[in-house]
Amino acid sequence: MELERISVVLRPRAPREALDLGATMLRANARAVWSAWFAFTLPVFVTCNALGVALGLPWLGLVLMWWLKPLFDRLPLYVLSRAVFDRAPGWRETLRGQGQWPWGSTWAALSWLRIDSNRSLRLPLELLEGLPRRQRAARWSVLRRRIVTDASLLTYGCLQFELVLFLSVWLLAMLLIPREWLPDSLRDFFRVDVHAASTIWMLLTSLVAYLAMSVIEPLYVACGFALYLNRRTQLEAWDIDLAFRRLRQRLQASGKTLAVLLACACCWPLSSHAASSSHGSRVAPPTSLEQVFKQPVDGADQQRFAAAATEVYRDPRFGGEHKAREWVFKYASTPQPVRTPMQPLFPGFAALVAMILKLGLWLLLAVVVGALLRFVWRWQRTRVVVDAAPVTPAPTWRAQVMADTPLPSDLAGAIRTLWGAQQQREALALLYRGCVEQTARLLQLPASIDATEADWLRQAAAMADPARAQRVIAIVRTWQFAAYAGRYPDDVVVESLLVGWPAQAGAPA
Amino acid sequence: MLDTVREIETPEGISLRLRAAGALPRAQAWMLDALLRMGVFMLAMIPLGLLGVGGNGLAMLLLFALMWAYSVACEVWLDGQTLGKRALGLRVVNADGTPVTWVPSVVRNLLRVVDVLPGVYGVGLVCTLIDPHARRLGDIVAGTMVVHAVELPAGTQVPTVAAIPPPVVLAADEQAALVEFAERSGQLTLQRQEELANLLLPLTGRRDTAAVSQLIAHANWLLGRA
Repeated sequence: MELERISVVLRPRAPREALDLGATMLRANARAVWSAWFAFTLPVFVTCNALGVALGLPWLGLVLMWWLKPLFDRLPLYVLSRAVFDRAPGWRETLRGQGQWPWGSTWAALSWLRIDSNRSLRLPLELLEGLPRRQRAARWSVLRRRIVTDASLLTYGCLQFELVLFLSVWLLAMLLIPREWLPDSLRDFFRVDVHAASTIWMLLTSLVAYLAMSVIEPLYVACGFALYLNRRTQLEAWDIDLAFRRLRQRLQASGKTLAVLLACACCWPLSSHAASSSHGSRVAPPTSLEQVFKQPVDGADQQRFAAAATEVYRDPRFGGEHKAREWVFKYASTPQPVRTPMQPLFPGFAALVAMILKLGLWLLLAVVVGALLRFVWRWQRTRVVVDAAPVTPAPTWRAQVMADTPLPSDLAGAIRTLWGAQQQREALALLYRGCVEQTARLLQLPASIDATEADWLRQAAAMADPARAQRVIAIVRTWQFAAYAGRYPDDVVVESLLVGWPAQAGAPA
Repeated sequence: MLDTVREIETPEGISLRLRAAGALPRAQAWMLDALLRMGVFMLAMIPLGLLGVGGNGLAMLLLFALMWAYSVACEVWLDGQTLGKRALGLRVVNADGTPVTWVPSVVRNLLRVVDVLPGVYGVGLVCTLIDPHARRLGDIVAGTMVVHAVELPAGTQVPTVAAIPPPVVLAADEQAALVEFAERSGQLTLQRQEELANLLLPLTGRRDTAAVSQLIAHANWLLGRA
């Protein structure tokens, strides 16, 4: 076994997760597994049922197929174990390979261990490790220690799945019978069909059971194999083994590189010495063929070159002759005689209908073109309208805020002056600042430069005096409308805001 | 390399690993849930049976709630885990790894009607066996999947010894392998420990027991112990 070639990601998993790894392995190697499975089990299935029919015991096929499951389990395990560590074998190779594996454990599983819930876990231990009997028992006791419950649950789960698939096929068939027929057909079925043709129904049952088994049994083996792999990863730290091998490879490679570098370093003085010696006698670099070969290029050379070139080109790799194969249709297709259309019964009437239809098609075309033109015209008009109203960018407001300049002593007066001078925004800004400052003073808050309008609205809600709170809210709202929406109040409103508490600091509310 | 992990990389470059849960654990969780619901219903029927026709009506309502609302309520309010899933360490998540929300949960549970066809979950079983992330039809439509939520079994604490820095710079996965070795060496036999440590002869320059203790010392250094 070469661990480096393993094709599944190894890491310690919970046993339940290992089961899912088994399903993934099976999915990845489905073709190889099932081709080997059917190549072996299908003849066995046919033989068993033929035997049953011949002996007059039609249920024998069903029972025998169930009983032989441990024998069939060897096939998926062979394929999966090869696929994980190497590559998936073909079905012929799988069937031939069965001879290499020991048979003793299979006989045991077919006889006194037939009802054993740990079969999936026993299989890889017995078939893949191939240990002598004494060692195998010790190994089994170590291997099963933590996962014996999961192995049993796996067996019951797969049994359940098989039952589900088996029932699904019958129920599906029943779903396809129309409902109004159902009572009659069921009665007929149980009264007549089952007794009259019991062999056929038994064989059909056997077939459905075989199909369900074919789906689930490889899954069972794959999951057991994955449990086994996971347990060994846990016991022997296969994932660490792989990582260490990679690290060792890297270190050895870098060790070689180091050696090469060292060798280069040793050679360095020698090569520099050689370079300096040639440096002394300066030689002009040769520039033409004559100078290089010290002899004139004559016509004979040209001819020799041409001959050599033809020789080279005769090589099939550079062209020359080659054979091409292609498929050509053996029997040349004979041109089909053009069938003359059947002569209509009333040529005049047919021509009339044809003309009407043709006219209708032309009309349809005209309508479509007209609709298109109308659409284009309307579309053009809407575009013109859009073009006619060029978007003028909204004027940008630039306002200088001087938060650190002290407020004027006569706040209301200053605001009135600004308002009168049509500097409405500045006036309202001043009012807002004054209001904020007064509120902060009243509530004994520290002056904070980053408090937003919403903060002041919240502060106002916390004020003891509802009248003052109302006024603060009115001023902040007025300022917000002005600052963010450009909606200015009229003179009366401004005047009402200027009278009283925040604008005239000393005044009562 | 085959694995059951679905890896999702977030825009921040973090890779989330969703360990998809297959048909077998999910069937076990479903069985647990079914038994639990059946038990609740039977217990509730004892008092409801005494109430005559009205009791029957209430029983029907209870049955409806257990069939349709139980999974959705558990998935949305109990971290994507019905009680059976919780017992088996499974969780329903959206396909991108986020917690499952109302709409996907309702969709995946409504589509049980399809998965349960033809009456014994045949469609759901076949679909989970075929799909690479073991999703049933409801999961595919709702964009959800069932993952293993329980963390991987970890090793024990690394034994504390005097730290030795490794002689060469190690990549992240190599460091992880060293620490993993130190954590899990307690679970390995002595011979296996030495066998593994001997693989790293170019790193430690030692063999057998000395190599094992040197590797554990390196792991101590990697873990930041002085």
